[in-house]
Amino acid sequence: MQAREFKALPDQPAPVSTTGPIAWMKDNLFSSVFNIAVTVIITSALISILPGVLDWLIFSANWSGTSQADCVKDGACWVFIQAWSQQIFYGSYPDGEIWRVNLSLMLLAGVIALSFTLPARLRNKIAVPAYLLLPFVCLLFLDGSNIGLTPVSTDLWGGFSLNVLIAAASIIIAFPFGFLWALGRQSDMPFARSVSVTCIEFFRGTPILALFFMGSVMLPLFFPSDVTVDKLLRVWIILVLFMSSYMAEVFRSGFQAIPQGQYEAANSIGLGYWQKTLLIIFPQVIKIAMPNILATFVMVFKNTVFLLVIAVPEMLQVIMSALSNSNWLGGHAVEGYLFVGFIFWICCFSMSLLATSIEKKLDTSHQN
Amino acid sequence: MSVDKQSIECTNDKEIIVIKDMNKWYGNFHVLKDINLTVKKGERIVVCGPSGSGKSTMIRCINRLEEFQRGSLVVNDVEMIEDVKNIEAIRREVGMVFQHFNLFPHLTILENLTLGPIWVQKRPKEEAEAIAMKYLERVQIPDQALKYPGQLSGGQQQRVAIARSLCMSPQIMLFDEPTSALDPEMIKEVLDVMVELADEGMTMICVTHEMGFAKKVADRVIFMDAGEIVEENEPNEFFNNPQMDRTQLFLSQILEH
Repeated sequence: MQAREFKALPDQPAPVSTTGPIAWMKDNLFSSVFNIAVTVIITSALISILPGVLDWLIFSANWSGTSQADCVKDGACWVFIQAWSQQIFYGSYPDGEIWRVNLSLMLLAGVIALSFTLPARLRNKIAVPAYLLLPFVCLLFLDGSNIGLTPVSTDLWGGFSLNVLIAAASIIIAFPFGFLWALGRQSDMPFARSVSVTCIEFFRGTPILALFFMGSVMLPLFFPSDVTVDKLLRVWIILVLFMSSYMAEVFRSGFQAIPQGQYEAANSIGLGYWQKTLLIIFPQVIKIAMPNILATFVMVFKNTVFLLVIAVPEMLQVIMSALSNSNWLGGHAVEGYLFVGFIFWICCFSMSLLATSIEKKLDTSHQN
Repeated sequence: MSVDKQSIECTNDKEIIVIKDMNKWYGNFHVLKDINLTVKKGERIVVCGPSGSGKSTMIRCINRLEEFQRGSLVVNDVEMIEDVKNIEAIRREVGMVFQHFNLFPHLTILENLTLGPIWVQKRPKEEAEAIAMKYLERVQIPDQALKYPGQLSGGQQQRVAIARSLCMSPQIMLFDEPTSALDPEMIKEVLDVMVELADEGMTMICVTHEMGFAKKVADRVIFMDAGEIVEENEPNEFFNNPQMDRTQLFLSQILEH
């Protein structure tokens, strides 16, 4: 018997009523009585609150001037931020030397941009060493004494640039440290394992504030009296250790998500331990752990404001001392804290966007 | 076939895998019991048996994805001992294909294939890519070289996995249920590649339930149950005249459908 020919039916477009903005609104905003109620309540709340907020923030706000006396309108007094902007961003870093802070920030931005634009082949060879060198190059420039610039004591470093730079420097060093601790934690060697577990559990189980106090008050007791370790350096070390312990756990969750078959395939090809770890496991761990890696970055970045408890003049500390300045006693706390929140939010949100783009770049699981 | 000591030197009769009294335990669970198996160069062996019989475990011991606790194993004149050098020497000679392909999802097909030649054999990238393309052509998917594993069908992925092993020019290929995770239409394309490989004289040990494949290419069929080799025979005898009742039961069950 002759077989009949099988012909697949052609694809047809979906019915119009299930696509487009009207259908979307029907599905998502007005699908049930409860949904309609929620939509109406939230919309009316926004309508009643937003105009007042926007008016205070923008339309009736005081945008120009130099002193408190210039804040005559009802709205926010942004003059306060303007007047203190240099301290807010650079602390007490000397006027003529601020280019060194800007250079450091530009180097940081440059290396990040480099790691996103370089082709994969060069990325490992150029961007990775660039990242690892960055904290030390910035340190040389900011301190200045070793490269023939005017020495600037770390007491004068401060403001938002300090939050950014110390967070970046901690993240960069904590990344490989955390990875090593995570490897150690799942190692077969009892010594490597117990050292890693102890470090991870100690630094993860201790509040960051307690660690800062320990670093600034207790650590010097252990050094000989003629040796002084700079306060900022101690803070950096503590942030690195604290963050490494979190990164180690983030990496460990990534390790556990890698199927056993990946290790077996790598073994059967004959790859050695480090080849297997760096070529096969690490790239997949990074991809899986990306959301948690970002969460840890954001956490450390935000935790830099805690430096104020040991009198490091980071951004929030500067705002607080400005608020108690005798020329600005008009109660600008709302503006000050809103501004701090806004700046941190901008930074963390851009980190989120960056991380999302990395995730997309790393995603090779797409089906046909 | 009688083989005296001298003729071992002859390439075709060289004993390339010698397993003696191999025993393995998972904790207190005795998974492999007194396994004795000798494979000559160029021999094709099919291992079958119910699940949990230890067949996968046995072939995974050959390239040390599993350790055994008693007995000895010699692969290509290298004894399997703790020494990393020996383990690496053995793994270089033994290719393995897995049930779930285990391709590296973050690398392109071409990168999956060149990884071993570049990092283990230290070949220059151009040479490694030439080798990779040669084997991709052999498994008939050179046009997929720049895609990622996730974009390929199961059958294509398994053929890539075979090509990845071949790129290391192994003397022995181990197949651990290579078609068990595939759709019926894809099983054939993988088996075709394996038959071709067998025809070229590759030494193969294949754990599979594809009895058609066993009849077609195997020199010997091994039936395992409860961690032991129950019966071992050339395919015609094995299928038509099984000696043990356990083998008869197994065959009657899988050939029923």
